[in-house]
Amino acid sequence: MVSRVEIHPGRYHDSVRLMQASKALQDVPGVTDALVAMATELNLSLLADMGFDMEATTSAGPNDLLLAVRADNDDTIATAHRVLDDALTHRAAADSGLTVPQPRTVGTAADVNGANIVLLSVPGEHAFVEAMEALEGGRHVMIFSDNVPVSQEVILKQRGVERGLLVMGPDCGTAIVNGLGLGFANAVHPGPVGIVGASGTGIQQVCSLLDDAGVGVRHALGTGSHDLSEEVGAIATLQALAALDADPAVEVIALISKPPAASVAARVRAAAAGCSKPVVVIFMGESTLEDGAAEVLALMDKQQTALSWPTDQDDHRRGTVRGLFSGGTLRDEARFVAMPVLGPIGTKELDSITRRNSDHTFIDYGDDEYTKGRAHPMIDQTVRIDRLEEVAVDADVGVILMDVVLGYGANADPAAELVPAITKAVASGAAVVVSLCGTQRDPQDRDRQAKTLQAAGASVWLSNAAAARQAARLATGG
Amino acid sequence: MRHITDLLDNEPVVATAGTDMLAAAIEQQGAAVSRAEWRPPVAGSETALAKLAADGRMEEANRTAIARMLAVRPHLVDVGVARDVFTDMTDRTLFHAGPPLEWERASGPMQGAIIGAMLYEGLAADPDDAAVRAARGEIELSPCHHHGAVGPMAGVTSPSMPVAIVEDAAGDGVSYSTLNEGLGKVLRYGAFAPEVIDRLRWMDRVLGPVLGAALRRRGPIDLQSLIAQALQMGDDGHNRNRAVTSLFLREIGAVLIDGTEAPVEQRRSVFEFIDGNDHFMLNLVMAAGKLGSDAAAGVTASSLVTVMARNGTDFGVRLSGTGDRWFTAPAPPVDGLYLGGYTEEDASPDIGDSTITETVGLGGFAMAAAPAIVGFVGGTASNAIQRTLAMYEITMAEHPAYQIPPLEFRGTPVGIDAARVVRTGVRPQINTGVAGKVPGTGMVGAGLVEAPMECFTDAINALADSL
Amino acid sequence: MINPETTETRLSPAPLRVPGVASIAIHGLLTGSGIEGTVLGTSSHAVWVQAGGDVIVISIGRGTRLPNGVHLPETAGRELLRRVHQGSKVLIGHGRITIGNVSVTVPRWWDPRPALPAVTAEDLAARLVGLPSEVPGINTTSLGLALEVGSAGGILLSAKTLLGKGPGLTPEGDDLLTGALGATRILGEATGRERAVALIAGISRPLAEMAEVRTTAYSAALLEMALRGRLVEPAGALLRALAGRGDIAASHLSLIRLGHTSGPALAAGIVLGAQALIQ
Repeated sequence: MVSRVEIHPGRYHDSVRLMQASKALQDVPGVTDALVAMATELNLSLLADMGFDMEATTSAGPNDLLLAVRADNDDTIATAHRVLDDALTHRAAADSGLTVPQPRTVGTAADVNGANIVLLSVPGEHAFVEAMEALEGGRHVMIFSDNVPVSQEVILKQRGVERGLLVMGPDCGTAIVNGLGLGFANAVHPGPVGIVGASGTGIQQVCSLLDDAGVGVRHALGTGSHDLSEEVGAIATLQALAALDADPAVEVIALISKPPAASVAARVRAAAAGCSKPVVVIFMGESTLEDGAAEVLALMDKQQTALSWPTDQDDHRRGTVRGLFSGGTLRDEARFVAMPVLGPIGTKELDSITRRNSDHTFIDYGDDEYTKGRAHPMIDQTVRIDRLEEVAVDADVGVILMDVVLGYGANADPAAELVPAITKAVASGAAVVVSLCGTQRDPQDRDRQAKTLQAAGASVWLSNAAAARQAARLATGG
Repeated sequence: MRHITDLLDNEPVVATAGTDMLAAAIEQQGAAVSRAEWRPPVAGSETALAKLAADGRMEEANRTAIARMLAVRPHLVDVGVARDVFTDMTDRTLFHAGPPLEWERASGPMQGAIIGAMLYEGLAADPDDAAVRAARGEIELSPCHHHGAVGPMAGVTSPSMPVAIVEDAAGDGVSYSTLNEGLGKVLRYGAFAPEVIDRLRWMDRVLGPVLGAALRRRGPIDLQSLIAQALQMGDDGHNRNRAVTSLFLREIGAVLIDGTEAPVEQRRSVFEFIDGNDHFMLNLVMAAGKLGSDAAAGVTASSLVTVMARNGTDFGVRLSGTGDRWFTAPAPPVDGLYLGGYTEEDASPDIGDSTITETVGLGGFAMAAAPAIVGFVGGTASNAIQRTLAMYEITMAEHPAYQIPPLEFRGTPVGIDAARVVRTGVRPQINTGVAGKVPGTGMVGAGLVEAPMECFTDAINALADSL
Repeated sequence: MINPETTETRLSPAPLRVPGVASIAIHGLLTGSGIEGTVLGTSSHAVWVQAGGDVIVISIGRGTRLPNGVHLPETAGRELLRRVHQGSKVLIGHGRITIGNVSVTVPRWWDPRPALPAVTAEDLAARLVGLPSEVPGINTTSLGLALEVGSAGGILLSAKTLLGKGPGLTPEGDDLLTGALGATRILGEATGRERAVALIAGISRPLAEMAEVRTTAYSAALLEMALRGRLVEPAGALLRALAGRGDIAASHLSLIRLGHTSGPALAAGIVLGAQALIQ
């Protein structure tokens, strides 16, 4: 067994690329452990936990690249190096005699193609400077990054309003502009609905429900998760509402958020009421996305379909409901729907000492706690699959509830990855209920995903609320 | 609403920075996207950058500053004598290149040049005496930059030296520089042998007066025009000045032959002196740059780099928005080719005010115009182009007059933005000659050096504090 | 020693899949069960395909989006252009267009009907001031008059002279007609002038039949689209601007830059149609 720890100063790569590189190294035959990451405190402690010799890392800093490999012999280590170089190599610009240096800032990148919108997913502490540059350059901004200080969010949004530019975010995971999905977004058909959303998954769920009823979406403008807080005061929400109201292609508007601060809620409702078009306000916790979508459809004389791929699962072992969610919005909605039926539902993992049979828990595995060193669970299902395997054979658990969110940016084939664990769960007597968020044209092929999950023994529901109702019904034997 | 209407009614045109996932997802939907290869800013600059962005005055201030830099029209008008031209110069004052410096910290070539100047001015009896007196503080040392002047290599300017006078035809500014001695054993490389002193005396007795008379007779020479033409003839304005020197000789030739009262032998010797020195115009190109630099100084909140200069020990930077402050770091070693049997061991740290050229869009920033240089500094012709292209990332503008033929006559990258330097990690690059560390050795090589990041980090922090 | 098999593989390029965005006007054709066609021709930024009675266009790069087209981004589109030529066999259906080993897929759709806010005749009149409605060498009087009085017969008569007039894939006369009738249809709706909308609906069939024999299949296709309120993107943008949403000067400029004569003729037609509408 040989191991190697190296520090490469001044080599920077974004976290997703590094995680892919780590994975590629781990897949090399003969490699038992590998870590490729920036040498932050967190990653250095991860390294120590993995049992590597820390000597080489004493003067390493967060702008240095850390490489650690443990393998059966030196040849494997050499192979690992080659694999790493391959994984981290950037492609040079094609078909020009001159290799033009890659732009280093969004301003320069936007100058290259005359961009009118900039998407930022740089670490939160650096997003502000890039976003301000975009606004100075007369460009709209979508900030996917989270952990941006609220004070900076306020400055950005105020500057945006001053210059007539949209600031979507921070922590905005989803937007659709004129049919083009930005971030995690589902493939929608052009249509008369405009959405303003503080929750990306909320937007996705509504798009899916509308799509299935044959109603298309023109735009979905994200505002970021903090927009309706007291400090930010709904600046982006109000701006987006006005923009959609003025767009002749939009006939109905849906506004989606977690319950906002009281004063902010009033301001938003007033603005909605003052629009020339009907606005369906969906504050989750007061109503469900399902009801909101139904209201939108009703305005267009359309019916909500209750699309599902059912399974006869009434015969399952008695026990608690364990919800394994990839994000907070659908978890919260499921909890909202199920609590009146099930009673209390915890949101923290049960620790083995206090574990009780009657504890239902719905966990958001997109929470920071579970995503250290990993991509978001919409991309990387490893943690959820591990949990699924545990609860599959946990005699205390009777029903397992999960969301699977499709669309651009998400895992290429989530159903296939989940099949083994779902099969195990169903075989051992648990009922598996899946809310499948997606549209007909999503790249993962929604219907095929649904059928795969159904074939593994799960019941699959387009509406998250419906899935939650099914789970609650099963758990109470109703 | 115009911007929002434009966004909502048309296909969005997208640029991204951060994880590739976002860009790839857009491409999967049949749309094109421009990616930035983003890196975190230099450690220690993040807070300052955020403060500058939040403040909001920097963009406008930079537009003002760079406009001022590019508005100057430098014209060579006359040659004077240092003691007459500089009001702050006493009999014991010596100006030097780079940021402020004390004798004790000065490198070999700088100390050699100081000694040589003292001998030239009669301030010491012999070299040892000069060193002792200098160490005792008998002479006042002051940066050329503090007096509207610039000097290549050691840049030592003493009271009796002839000084070129460059005026701004579009404003009130004036800048100055000594005249270039030529190659080999010269004062600016730290040589102080009798031949060096003799040459200096010839320069103040013959070269200065004859050239001055010729200029006064002929009228001002438009330096920007000469430099712009020279860039299209293979010069870069820093390491290669052969074309601009040739062009200058054409400007001055007629009036030298038949326009001054000086004896024929003097006129001939002046012509031959300039003719024999491929670097003669370096000093004037630098003075032209200094004019732009001074014009752009003092704009509140501006991150425009107005000065980059080295004194043989430190590399110094000044910003428009931080007044007279120097931000210094140890001068980095030069990555270069060495002449003859010289090696890195023989090299002195980077020295000279000649980085004023890079500061105004010449030298390392115009390398693509002078591919011949790369052989001299090590590299390929396409390398030169790559390196110039990289500089557009950290500059504010494209020069309206200085154009690069191989880049389809694109203006050179000009107006280094210290904020962009620390944000992108791209350091200004410089073509430079290398002096021998033993005083008087002369040039031992040439190559590329990148300005030290520390200067820019310190400068940006100071700028943010100043708001 | 050269292995002929490997040389062969090295010479033919790898299969190419290019995602693009398509007009919903050709949704039926693209998602149908499959129809064969041929490449009519190519240019530096487009491929024209005829399949059944339809002509569709694969456009590339920063060029315009067409109501009967699929639009591809620059780089991938260039690669496609390198591989297809006039006469290449095409298969259209099941959400893709296949030409040889190139497959254009359609993950995304756009609506070629421009969405206009409601507008009054007065406002429209004010915005039309200064915009040209003339095309050199073409008499627009009879068409203008026919539109003003609402004469179907008059329009068809003008169409007889205009269709096919001028060189190129879309003759100037066609573009003028397309612009004028498209504007009548779209602005008719936006100003609430039902008669104008009905007029266009009424002449659609006879005009289509006329176009089929008098002009290119491609031009006829664009005309038919216009009669149903679907135009090339810059033309839609100009109409939107005339209705009060967007910048008139900028959108007019973008349109007249289209093609060689196409753009100016389309623009002139739009102005002609709009002026006639509000008389």
